[in-house]
Amino acid sequence: MNLNDYQTEFNKLIAQQSFSSDSHPQRNNTFSKFLDSGIPTKKWEAWRHTDLSFLNKNNFRVSRPDDSQIDSIDISNYKIANTYTIIIINGYFIEGSSVLPKELKVSTYTDKNNWNPKNKKENPFELLNASLSDSNIAIVIEPNASIEKPIHILFLCTGKDNLMINPQITMDISRSSSATIIEQYVSDTSSFFQNTSVFASIEKNASLNHIRIHSNSDETANISGLHVTQSDDSNYNYFQLVDGGALQRSDIYTDLEGKNATCSLSGLTLLDKKQHSATYITSDHIMPQCESSQNFKSVLNGHSSGVFNGRTIVREDSQKTNSKQSNKNLLLSDQAIMNSNPQLEIYADDVKCAHGSTTGALDNEALFYMQSRGINRKDSISLLIRGFVSELINDIKSEDLKNHLFTRFDRWLLNNNQ
Amino acid sequence: MLEIKNLHVEVEGKQILNGIDLDVKSGEMHAIMGLNGSGKSTLSNAITGRENYNVTKGDIVYKNDSIIEMEPDQRALAGIFMSFQYPTVIPGVNNTYFLRAAVNAKRKYNGQKEYDAASFLKLVKSKLKEVDMDSKYLKRAVNEGFSGGEKKRNEMLQLLCLEPELAIMDETDSGLDIDALKIISRGINNYKDKNRSFLVITHYQRLLKYIEPDVVHVLIDGKIIKSGGKELALELEEKGYGWLEQ
Repeated sequence: MNLNDYQTEFNKLIAQQSFSSDSHPQRNNTFSKFLDSGIPTKKWEAWRHTDLSFLNKNNFRVSRPDDSQIDSIDISNYKIANTYTIIIINGYFIEGSSVLPKELKVSTYTDKNNWNPKNKKENPFELLNASLSDSNIAIVIEPNASIEKPIHILFLCTGKDNLMINPQITMDISRSSSATIIEQYVSDTSSFFQNTSVFASIEKNASLNHIRIHSNSDETANISGLHVTQSDDSNYNYFQLVDGGALQRSDIYTDLEGKNATCSLSGLTLLDKKQHSATYITSDHIMPQCESSQNFKSVLNGHSSGVFNGRTIVREDSQKTNSKQSNKNLLLSDQAIMNSNPQLEIYADDVKCAHGSTTGALDNEALFYMQSRGINRKDSISLLIRGFVSELINDIKSEDLKNHLFTRFDRWLLNNNQ
Repeated sequence: MLEIKNLHVEVEGKQILNGIDLDVKSGEMHAIMGLNGSGKSTLSNAITGRENYNVTKGDIVYKNDSIIEMEPDQRALAGIFMSFQYPTVIPGVNNTYFLRAAVNAKRKYNGQKEYDAASFLKLVKSKLKEVDMDSKYLKRAVNEGFSGGEKKRNEMLQLLCLEPELAIMDETDSGLDIDALKIISRGINNYKDKNRSFLVITHYQRLLKYIEPDVVHVLIDGKIIKSGGKELALELEEKGYGWLEQ
């Protein structure tokens, strides 16, 4: 897809008139900024290792409201036990199939004209999302509300090929409230391009567990921006699983704007064939006494490639910061490639910061040890890989979600250890 | 039980064993003694089938079958066990889970019913007492954060659970304090019976104070140059290895 193709799709979206025309001037303005910037190339520092050829080679079209009219879909395959479910099909909120708690308010474009994108980072995909965003979910958790059951937002692409979907999710976790939100991206169509922006605001003393699962089919591109701001005494736990898609890129920004906030980011990436996945993180310590951690692992097979770029900034005023970065990668094939780049920028003097990165093949010593106890090579390899990833999944608090993630991992392992 | 015939082994292009002959019968305990670099560990690795330990000549016969073409796990299922000199740490793999996987692999091979988690825990807890090991080690990853002595007890625990017929103890005594040494020796003595054999590989005579080998072999430069009874070990302790090298 080139810039002319994007222009055509933008014109189509405007002509569809599915949203109020009041937002058109702003959309136009944002879209022209996108055109000015263009699609990143490998000459851009932040995109040096991200291979966008899948996106450039394929053509996609913006979704229309009637794309969500799918007769027969069985969403039971994608459900996670004991969760509230918000269903988005081909970019559109399906109110009738969704089950929501009373403490939570969801508003979408179809309710009213609430096009008010917060995309502020200078990233062409953020601009593209803002100008094309079709599905908007704004979740507001009321103050002091504690929602025990996880809220599962299921983005399902089904029935239509080559759609371009631009969801926006806003999560307002009000003062002293707590919730668990799962974003899951799944598909049974052969190809699409999903470009997501998520904005989470975690207010004073509030807590959010946020899980994102990218399990799309092989011929899909998934790009997402995640912007988190945290106030005093807030707590944010993020976990992402990537086990699908041809191209996946996450840009995560966490701004610790309040004192004594905790931000823990972790992720597991499972890749094979020619898949590419890149995770770029900026954890910004603006205020003192905050804690942040990044703990990311990848298992790469086939000709796949991955990037971890974790950046932690500790600003002058953020004394007593405690931050950790860890990136560990397991290469199952000689052709797989991982780029790992943990970075620390420290401008304060009374802080504790640590970072580390390892990338290697399966440990032959451990394999021999297991085999010498009668466990065959294939099972030994499975045990080792499971051991490598289980630490991350075991940290997930919800048992149902943990089981769901282990099931996904086991399925991946079955295909990748034959 | 184990017959080694004119065994020559090469590791990464270097000839280490130069014609070893050994005949360990059921119920026997043999000790292999030698200095560092004499080929003791190469011998145990060749028997258990570690990668890159290439048999260039000769044969290893276990229960009347040649095993040199067998995978390490097949050798283990057939009843061979090695207590490692340096037990491997396996991060993320729970010790009990690993042990149960190993025991169940063997039970499956023998056509026996596999253990579920609860019945296995019962079994392993009874074995823990024999090696005087704290049950907290069951909850950790395999050998992770274990001291040298704890690792060797864990090896002994695996041995007791897997019930091998041929156990190779590779430098089990090195780095052990006297209490741990006594516990491991007691484990070996209790385990040994007329159908179970031991090959004890050691640098020092210390372990042989607590266990009684039937035969002691001295390994120098990849060859057994002398075999004898327990008194040979005492002689080595007194005179060192120098007098044998001439």
